This record gives sequence, structure tokens and C-alpha cells, in this order.
Amino acid sequence: MTQAERPSAGPIGTTWTPSNETPRPTWGWILQAISGVLVLVLVTLHMIANHFVVSGGLRDFADVVAYLSNPLVVVLEVCFLVVVTWHGLLGLRAVLFDFGLGPRAESAITRAFSVLGVAIVAYGLWLTWTITSYH
Amino acid sequence: MNEQPLERTTPERGTEGASPRRRGLAGWADPRGRRLGGLAFILNRLTGLGVLLYLSFHLVVLSLLARGPSAWDGFVSIAGSPLFLAFDVVLVFGLLFHGLNGIRVTLVGFGLVVERQRAMFVALMIVGAIALAVAAVRIFTAG
Amino acid sequence: MNAQLDPAHDTHATADTGVRVRFRVYRYKAGDRAGHFDEFSLEVAPETTVLDALVAIRTRLDPSLVLRHSCFHASCGTCGMRVNDTEVMACVTKILDLGSATVKVEPIANGALLGDLATDMVDFYARLAAIGRPLIRESEWLPSSIVPEGIEAYNRFESCIECGLCTSACPIVATDPRYIGPAALAAACRAVEEPRGLDPGAIMGLVDDQQGAWRCHAAFECTEACPSAVDPAGAIMALRRRAASGRLRSLIGGRHA
Repeated sequence: MTQAERPSAGPIGTTWTPSNETPRPTWGWILQAISGVLVLVLVTLHMIANHFVVSGGLRDFADVVAYLSNPLVVVLEVCFLVVVTWHGLLGLRAVLFDFGLGPRAESAITRAFSVLGVAIVAYGLWLTWTITSYH
Repeated sequence: MNEQPLERTTPERGTEGASPRRRGLAGWADPRGRRLGGLAFILNRLTGLGVLLYLSFHLVVLSLLARGPSAWDGFVSIAGSPLFLAFDVVLVFGLLFHGLNGIRVTLVGFGLVVERQRAMFVALMIVGAIALAVAAVRIFTAG
Repeated sequence: MNAQLDPAHDTHATADTGVRVRFRVYRYKAGDRAGHFDEFSLEVAPETTVLDALVAIRTRLDPSLVLRHSCFHASCGTCGMRVNDTEVMACVTKILDLGSATVKVEPIANGALLGDLATDMVDFYARLAAIGRPLIRESEWLPSSIVPEGIEAYNRFESCIECGLCTSACPIVATDPRYIGPAALAAACRAVEEPRGLDPGAIMGLVDDQQGAWRCHAAFECTEACPSAVDPAGAIMALRRRAASGRLRSLIGGRHA
């Protein structure tokens, strides 16, 4: 039996090498922590305002219009959508990155999720505007 | 005695024979032999992905609001069914677990409360269990 | 292969209490398509360790069993294994303490398998080498007039016996072998907190990286698995604190942390 050919990388024939020549500090985890804290606060407010102060636990159309007529509410709900989308997409990106896809695929995912995130927030803004201007 | 060098196997992703613990795409999800922290990590991922999936449904359903009162109120009338309410309780569980465990991960990840992180986790889960019970009662009894 | 062992004839296991335990030992030889489990049945005493049983199996029943061990007291780091899905040092794990009539023995995970219970440690050592372990410092002598406060807090990192149990237990290494891993990060923390001539900047470069300390998801499996109380998870969090505050400083105005 011949010995398997040794990979050339590394001092002792290892297949593991540091994954980069220069350091790539990543902000992903820190952003995830910050957005997570914000989500915690805003999701609690969102749940209480939408499900625990309304009889029946769910707002009907008239209730929704009344709810969104308050500008502070609109601001908070939009902020909530922004941070929850941010946190969710960052999280999904982290799960995908664990699959060891390589730097090009990873940049593509980051770009795609950024676009998706902006699109989701844009959708939320459009929806809010549509509801509040319904007649 | 025959001197045969041990042949080194090249690590291949996903080959069961090369390593007894699952590697590859589901390596993180293997719960065998995991202790509290490892199970918390697995459940954190599953609840995170689950809530994200719920979010996408939620955003799609909200588009009914753009079609006016009849479309939305029609949805509201079926959203009170027991099946829906059961899903709501599952959602609340997912949010509570992910959020409370997230508090632990955030604090610990910045180097705080590391020594007693296990106790903190248990305490947070107790808080979560109480909150879940309260929420479940509210969900099933509120009109 | 199913076989029985009479411990009366064996120097490693005594027959005083004679509790019969079933062993399922993972077997794999290079070229096999998949591994399988061989079963052995042994009578063990309260003091019989997993390693005792495995050596007895190899000596008396199946000499083809590939097994690594050395010191018999958890200081050389050689006999790390997964026993009933948990990472342990086989030489100090008493069989009857496991509380199970069946004992499953597998090699440590997250490394290529040479055969049976011997995992190739090459990748593990390469990660440690990248951090600079063994730590060869310019000076091993502390200035005699200064005894660093809290020196006992550093001693635990010197306890690392490079057994690989932490890396085997880590759920992230299981999925992505590019992660530098808990052992290397614990060594990095040791080097960075008391460099004594080493370059902490270079080490932090490997730590403050996507595949460094930021990869950890706080499962703490490494700390639970470590037989030497190194607490790699604590080290990783301390490194993150260091990396985060370093970046904050450079954001605010300091040039290099």
C-alpha cells in the first residue's frame, strides 16, 4: 500500500492552514448582538401593542388603521422591521457561512442579503403607506 | 513483524467511515453527547431559522392589508382557530427561547458573566417558561 | 467480532465484583468504505477504566485494535476518546461510573481517522502551531521584582495537554474545519495576556478573524470536555473582549491596540 500523498500546505503535512494571509476582522457577530438587543425590546413592544391590548388578540382593519395613525407607532414599527430583518438575515448568513463555501460565495451571499434586506424594508414602508392612505 | 506505515486517510466531507461524528452540513445539529450549552446552541439555531420562516409568512400575509378591510378581516376570522392559536404558542416559545438564550450569548460573548453562564441560562429558561405559560393562557382565552 | 474475556487471567481487570459490561468499539481501517462496531463482553471491577478494558481487549482478544495511550493518568493527552458520545480521557474514566450496561467507544471527532480509535492529530497541531504553541518565549524568567497580580489565573492555560477533546466536542469545528478551534484560541489567550517576548499583534490577527474567536457560538462544549480545566470558552470570550475594545479604541482615535 502506498502512502497517501501529503498535502503541501502547512509545516507537518496538514490540510489545515490559516484561512487568510491578512486578518479579516468581522463585524458580523457584534452587529448581531446589537440588533438582537434591539429586537428583544421592539418585539416585546410589538407583541403587546398588537396582541395584548386589543380584545380578541388581533387587530381588524379599522384597528390597524387607527394604530398606524400615530406617527410614533409608525416609527417604532418601521424600526422593528429594520432590526428584525437585519438580525434575521445576519443569522441566516451565519448559518450558511458555517458550511464552508469559500470567499466568493460568501461575498455573493452578503451582497444578496443586503439587497433582500433593503427590499423587505421597502416593502414594509410601501405597505404602511398603502394602509394609512386607504379610503 | 511487517512494518506497514499506517495510511493516512484524507478527510472528506460527509463520509461516514472517516469520522464517527457527522461532519458537513449537519455537523452542528448532532445532539448526541451534547451538554446543556451545546443543546442550547442547536436550539438557538433552530428557533432562529423557525422564526425567520414565520417572518416571511407574516410579511406575505400582511399584504392582505393592502387589499382592504374585506381581505384582511377575512383573515382575522380564521386566525382565531385553535390550530392557528397553537402555532402562535409555538412561535412565542421560539421567540422566548431565542431571545433569552440570546441574552446569555450576548453577555458571555462580550466576556461578562462567563463563570456563571450555566446558572444564568437556567434562570433565563425558568423566566421563559413562566412567560410562555402566561402567554399560552392569554392566547387561548382572549376572546 | 463478539468475544468474552475472563479477567481472572488478565492483569488489567480484576474479577472481584465481576460486573459484566458490553463494549461496542468503533473499528475502521484505511480503505474501508465505512466504519462498524465490534462487540466485546468483559467483567469489570469498580476501579476498571475504559483504557484498562481496551488494553485488555487488545492484549487478549483482538490485537488488531488500534489504540493510543501513554501515561495512564490524564497528563499526556494521548488517550482522548468519545465514550457514550462524551469526550473523555479513557485512562481516568471508570466504567462503572458511566452507569450503563453498554459502553460505546469511538475515536475523537473532527479529524481524519487513521484507524479504529486513533484520530489523526495533524490538523489539531497545525492550528496550535499557527498560534505559536509550543510557546517559546524570549525569556521564561519573570523580573524578580515583579510578581504579576493574579498569576494563578494564567496557570490554567499552561494546563493544556493538547488532547484534542475540546476540538472534538466543538459543534463549529464539526461543520467548518477552517475554524481555528478552542485549543488554539486558549493558547492564543495565554500568549496574548502574558507575551514575554512573543508578538501579541500577530496572534490577535489570527484571533480577530472570521475563523478566529468570532466563530464561537457559546456552546461551551469545549470547557465541559476539557480534562485540565483550561476553560477554552472563557479564553475565547476574553479574547473577544480584547478584540472588541481594541477596535473601539482604534475607532475613537488610538492608532493600534
